[in-house]
Amino acid sequence: MKTLNDVRLLFLRPFMQYLRNPMFIFVNLATPIMYLVLFMPLLKNLSGPGLRSSDIVQIFLPGIIALLFASAGLFSVFPTIFDLNKGLIERLRVTPASRFALLIGPILMWNAWTLISSAVIVAISVAFGFHVHLFGLLLFALLLVMLLTIFAAWATAMAILMKGDIQSISGVVTGLNLPILLLAGVMLPLTLAPSWMRTLAHFDPLYYAVEAGRDLAAGQVSTHGVALAFAVLVPLTCFVLWWATRVYREAVS
Amino acid sequence: MSDIVIKTKALRKSFGAKNKTVTAVEGVDLQVAAGEIFGFLGPNGAGKTTTLRMLTTLLSIDGGQAEVAGYDVRKKPAEVRKHVGYVSQLGGADDEATGLEDLLLQGQLYGMSRDAARTRASQLIVALQLREFADRKIGTYSGGQKRRLNVASGIMHKPTVLFLDEPTTGLDPQNRANLWEQVRKLRDEGTTIFLTTHYLEEADALSDRLAIMDNGKIVAEGTPHELKAQISGDAVTIKPKPNKLPLESISKYVASQPFVRKSRIEDGAIRLYVDDGAKALPMIFALLDDKKISLDTVAVSQPSLDDVFLMQTGRSLRDTSNGGIH
Repeated sequence: MKTLNDVRLLFLRPFMQYLRNPMFIFVNLATPIMYLVLFMPLLKNLSGPGLRSSDIVQIFLPGIIALLFASAGLFSVFPTIFDLNKGLIERLRVTPASRFALLIGPILMWNAWTLISSAVIVAISVAFGFHVHLFGLLLFALLLVMLLTIFAAWATAMAILMKGDIQSISGVVTGLNLPILLLAGVMLPLTLAPSWMRTLAHFDPLYYAVEAGRDLAAGQVSTHGVALAFAVLVPLTCFVLWWATRVYREAVS
Repeated sequence: MSDIVIKTKALRKSFGAKNKTVTAVEGVDLQVAAGEIFGFLGPNGAGKTTTLRMLTTLLSIDGGQAEVAGYDVRKKPAEVRKHVGYVSQLGGADDEATGLEDLLLQGQLYGMSRDAARTRASQLIVALQLREFADRKIGTYSGGQKRRLNVASGIMHKPTVLFLDEPTTGLDPQNRANLWEQVRKLRDEGTTIFLTTHYLEEADALSDRLAIMDNGKIVAEGTPHELKAQISGDAVTIKPKPNKLPLESISKYVASQPFVRKSRIEDGAIRLYVDDGAKALPMIFALLDDKKISLDTVAVSQPSLDDVFLMQTGRSLRDTSNGGIH
């Protein structure tokens, strides 16, 4: 019970702060809309014989949304670095607050905001011919939350282990962002890739979410891709959360 | 003897750096009684903060024992956390929150209900004079305002022991005096306070008892009065007018006299330790007159904590390379 209450408090702290920051809300909603405005027109011209533009939206939208979640997870490390360097995390670590709550509170906050902006994208995409399969999208949302959690918890633990050194951490995070994105076939499908790249893609959590997302967006729930995504992301989420909580507990920062 | 709330025995901590380990704390034995202000004085890098971080469960303990508020720090860290408050050098306030929000969060993380936290926060807002800005974002606070909020945050849950790490670093004299007042008031209300400082004046004026730390070890412990009494006699500080003789040779010359126990150079002046300042002065004047050395200033004073530090370590706390003592 104490843990749940701690999670609630540590989720609400940053959530309410962003809620009263008009600039943040504007960017949070404008970025996904920008993706659509600057991306959808390109897709329209891609449609060839036998492939209508609505099919293409169906294929690319899950990729874009998964990308939003992965990036939000990785870049959530920056506010954490500031909190570390201001001594805020140390202050919280001296309280009896649950270590798991210290970790997961902000991560849930990023999940909440990214779900909100994704809902806006989906709503707008309907106008571009995106067909909503509600159950599929809900399962997809579950995968996306795990995806963001994996990246965010990993990045948070790295930030603590690197003692809030912003230069090293931003190097690692921004350096990894591009390969994670490209290996997942978000922009261009991996069917175009050589086999070594397709093998490498299996080490990228985003890859599983994108593959499953395309099936789920099409309303196909019981596919190999969906099963594989859950089989990989569920244990990986548990493992990363366990490890990052341990880092919080034993940190020397 | 009154209750002991902090007790350590042979406390040790080292940090691994590539091929060598650096021992930051090397066998610290401490006893802090309930309701006292215990000062921890030493130059930067002496191991004060490391000791404090071990006692507040932030750092693992490599060796020895530590007990805080009746709980073994290694075995019952969760219990220790419930009973201690901690204000780090950085403060750790949430710049995006208002002062009131920050206090409410702190209280609730200690398991207080929202109402209880609100009641306690309003008490502290009055006690620590936060009222004018409690509803403003912390990012807009001045150094002194932020420090008072940090202290309020550290005592939201009425801890048995409050740990303050360099609480007045960066504060102007007025804010420093104000914080000292607050700390004394807390002590009078029964909170035990453990504070680190590298300011001699602060350790002297504020601590009921203090320990002097250097290179990971405690080199002296006692009340400020007891420590200074170890150095009997007086200190005479003379500052010669610019002269062809270097300070070192003047210092050596005066120190060779039987009535001078010891001399050293500090901030362009010579500090002499004598049994009786009043008797020594005319003799010092006569000596310098012989050599045609005239003086800018002369002062007779009681020994300071710096003199205690010097006696124990052979160095002055004012001279220690990275110590910011002014």
